[in-house]
Amino acid sequence: MEEKSSLAVFYFAVLGLLTAAFGIAYLLVTIGMVDEFSYSILEIPGDMFGGGWGGIVLLSAGLFYLMGLKDFNEIHQFGKIVMASILIWLLAGCDIFATVTESIPGGDEGWFNTLSGFIETYYPPYTPAVLLLPFSLVVIYYIYNRNTQEEKE
Amino acid sequence: MTIDAATRWDIIDKISKETITFGKYRHTLTDAIGELTVKPGTGIPIAIAILYGFWSIFGSFAGFFTDGFFVRIFDEYWLPWLQAVFPGQGGWLYAIMVDAGGIQSGQFVPSDNCLEAFGVLTSGIFVAIGVVLPAILIFYLMLALLEDIGYMPRLAVLIDTLLHKIGLHGYAIVPTILSLGCNVPGVTATRILETKKQRFIMMTLLAIFIPCGAQIGIMEDVVPDLMGWIMLYLIIGYFIFGYVLNKIVPGEAPEFLIDVPPYRKPLIANVSKKVWGRLVGFFKVALPFVMLGCAIVGVLYMLGVIDWLAAVLAPIFVGWFGVPAETAGPLIAAFLRKDLAVAQLSTIEMTEYQMITAVVLVSIYFPCVATFAMMLKEGWKELLAALAVLAVVVFLYGGLIHMIGILMGVA
Repeated sequence: MEEKSSLAVFYFAVLGLLTAAFGIAYLLVTIGMVDEFSYSILEIPGDMFGGGWGGIVLLSAGLFYLMGLKDFNEIHQFGKIVMASILIWLLAGCDIFATVTESIPGGDEGWFNTLSGFIETYYPPYTPAVLLLPFSLVVIYYIYNRNTQEEKE
Repeated sequence: MTIDAATRWDIIDKISKETITFGKYRHTLTDAIGELTVKPGTGIPIAIAILYGFWSIFGSFAGFFTDGFFVRIFDEYWLPWLQAVFPGQGGWLYAIMVDAGGIQSGQFVPSDNCLEAFGVLTSGIFVAIGVVLPAILIFYLMLALLEDIGYMPRLAVLIDTLLHKIGLHGYAIVPTILSLGCNVPGVTATRILETKKQRFIMMTLLAIFIPCGAQIGIMEDVVPDLMGWIMLYLIIGYFIFGYVLNKIVPGEAPEFLIDVPPYRKPLIANVSKKVWGRLVGFFKVALPFVMLGCAIVGVLYMLGVIDWLAAVLAPIFVGWFGVPAETAGPLIAAFLRKDLAVAQLSTIEMTEYQMITAVVLVSIYFPCVATFAMMLKEGWKELLAALAVLAVVVFLYGGLIHMIGILMGVA
């Protein structure tokens, strides 16, 4: 059990640092200290809403991960880790929803998008929140583990 | 038969042993997350995240229907059809009902989109169905979800200390958020506040600083990049003038006690009932005013009243508020249709900062007619006092925004 939680602490520490770093990057791009960033599959938004407000949310998620590391098995500490993941799901969910709503209408071409245009909308680059989404889902495994253990007790 | 106390206790013990199961209480993950959302250190970032989600979904959903489909339906089909079939092009009835158009070299030039046509059947219906309906549908859906999950009482607890600084308490967040959909239910919801002082402060702040769903929808459509700055100015104004009102308005601002419920899974039946009730309420109360507002704006433009007022007040708009003289017309017409006024402003050439100032002025300017009527229902004395405050606020805050712009070198 202890081995399992030290692995979890390591995992969420790395995820927390990465998330916080992305949050800071969002804010730096938004205030103009760094030029708008897009490389390979990664794109950091620089607008006031997505970059500024979203950056604060992503930074908070990173800090929640880091705050929850000490005494990881304690329920309130674990709650912070879960909350951090929920914040990433919220950000990524909003980004995905925005992509879905963009992909359907056809704009000047017609009522609905063409099949290729629809698929192209889902091509990279993606925001950091979307890229972090699969890694944040690991918390579900720990919630499940915790519930199973509690039921046994 | 009478029994003594000891026997009675024995019976109670026996019944409770048979009916009650005793166990050790475990703090669940839901409890822990519930506590995190109330403690300021963790609760404030969570509130910021939830509001981000709220507005992000709002923008995507409203944009999907308005820009994706309704703009096309209204501009490419509805407007040309009405322009073709409605008789008397260039006449007064045509201008009020369909298209005010423009005059170039003595010739009537028809509008090419519903926003600029300013007719009851074009702009009126487009704003009501194409802009406001998707905006308030998603707004009320999100609000109902937050209420039923159990987040709203937590937000009330979280913001209680801050709202006490302006003479209100945590529950004032309910009328404030409701007003972002439509000011009319927001004004009605001020009744949950206990004292006259609180209700007056709340109603005044709603009428001045909270833009409704229709206005937000149009702002998202025509000035999306400036939304952040406009909302920031409105939030700052809400707290500055709330603080001042708290100091000068006599009366009490009591504490409040709230029972924070556990988080619950929302029930579809409850959520849909709430959303439906609010939508029907909006369409019954506010929609007739939207249509009436369009007609009155049209008549006033035709009679030259708005142009005359614009000419008289232009020196104040240019000198004191720092916006171009052409904005005077839309700013005056904003009393009747704030959303259309924003759309009119978007067609005037001006700097970004002037646009921010002008849209903030539209927001803090007179409440729309529907809100005006609702405030009158709450009491004419309160309405007159609120209007007096409003006049002072518009003059002072508009001038202050201009001054900030001058100091920043952007105005």
